Amino acid sequence: MNAFFYKEWLKNRWFYLLSAAFSLLLCLYVTLNLHRLCNLRGAAHFWEAALTKDAIFIQLLHYMPLLLGIAAALVQFIPEMLQKRIKLTLHLPCNYFYSIGSMLLFGLCMLCCIFLLNLSALGIALRSIFAPEIVSRILLTALPWYLSGLTAYVLCAWICLEPNWKRRVLNGIVSACVLRIFFMSDTPEAYNRFLPILAVYTLLICALPFISVERFKTGKD
Amino acid sequence: MIECKHLTHYYGKRLIYEDLSFTVPQGRILGLLGKNGTGKTTTINLLSGFLKPHSGECRIFGQDVQQMEPALRRNIGLLIEGHVQYTFMDIRQIERFYARFYPNWKSKIYYELMDLLQVAPKQRISRMSCGQRSQVALGLLMAQDPELLILDDFSLGLDPGYRRLFIDYLRDFVKSKGKTVFLTSHIIQDMERLIDDCIIMDYGHILLQKPVSYLLENYYQYNFTLSQPCRLDIPEFYHPNILHNRVETGGFLPPEAAEGILQAHGVDYSDFSARHVPLEDIFIGLTGKY
Repeated sequence: MNAFFYKEWLKNRWFYLLSAAFSLLLCLYVTLNLHRLCNLRGAAHFWEAALTKDAIFIQLLHYMPLLLGIAAALVQFIPEMLQKRIKLTLHLPCNYFYSIGSMLLFGLCMLCCIFLLNLSALGIALRSIFAPEIVSRILLTALPWYLSGLTAYVLCAWICLEPNWKRRVLNGIVSACVLRIFFMSDTPEAYNRFLPILAVYTLLICALPFISVERFKTGKD
Repeated sequence: MIECKHLTHYYGKRLIYEDLSFTVPQGRILGLLGKNGTGKTTTINLLSGFLKPHSGECRIFGQDVQQMEPALRRNIGLLIEGHVQYTFMDIRQIERFYARFYPNWKSKIYYELMDLLQVAPKQRISRMSCGQRSQVALGLLMAQDPELLILDDFSLGLDPGYRRLFIDYLRDFVKSKGKTVFLTSHIIQDMERLIDDCIIMDYGHILLQKPVSYLLENYYQYNFTLSQPCRLDIPEFYHPNILHNRVETGGFLPPEAAEGILQAHGVDYSDFSARHVPLEDIFIGLTGKY
């Protein structure tokens, strides 16, 4: 697994470093803006908005994890397919569950690190304005967005690894429907009871890229 | 070492080949020759397990390639058309990556070859010339030290110097260690210097599988002039090419026997000559120019 992590790190390190910097800057922008408005209008106004109007103040980050997940999969898997490097990987003396699984695990780990950094930064910055209960409400509301980023990464890998164009389109349609589930409600904490199911759902979706690889191995073109 | 039996394959409804069977004995270098579209890369893909035949089976080391244990692939070196490699790595990084998968990895042999290349240690493979990339790919194959090498169009994109370098290193490595090689190349002069046996493929089937020495010693190119235009439908003569009554054809009959056949068919001819030709001319003679 170390070897695959080493390879993927060499290939994708600049993407993940830039993504981490970009997402942290976006979190910083959102929270600094909130701090500025608090200084202008007073924190009480925002507390009231949070408690009575379901405001969560970080709407700008709504689709950011999703887009990062999609971009991560494209950057990681499109060159593998276009330059036929996937054949080199599949020819290595190990099971493809192990090789492709390690590549996927690398991407998921890197995204998890970035997302945890984001949530930690948001938590720390928001804690200086709001009570812990409001901060936790905001972060719990954002959690499905970040989970959608992980799911989007896996689904996009499934599409990229698929060898047949028609099936890619079909996989794309299925993926769009699956990802829609993460954005069905804007109500804060609407997903709280559903979060464990969403997490299991994401784990189950991790099986899909292996179907594409199996099809690639048998030459379904 | 390699055994393919009754292979039939289609792309959609297009038949690539039908009932194709061949074997590659241990310690031999076998070249697969064929025009574009005769299924050379398809055969490589079948052998490397990236394609499932419509029917038939390929076995390497006695195992069906589709069901092959991953560990057995340690003994198969694969060169993908265009010397595909992880081009985002430099020569040290790629060596470090592959070494973890192969217990018998021989880094010395790799670095000896890399020392001959004029590349900076931190130069990425993507910034190397095609010739340099081919040497990196060859160095990695040699360091892997596999029993069987499968090389798909190893000469693609290489200038004559790098082609010669590749062939000389490969032949020395393979012959000194008794390796088995199955390869394709579109440059047939290269094959003559490298391979022991060849399979010549035509559309849909194998035309012949023979040692190269047999072809070089037994194939003749015949030239003669027809006194008057006529059709030459003689099965012993491959693809007769007639231009201004001058005929160029070929076959495996000695010159006297070839002339005897012409006379037996009542062909009125003069200026008959027969000569041995290089492998490329044999290939064109057997498969035709079109």
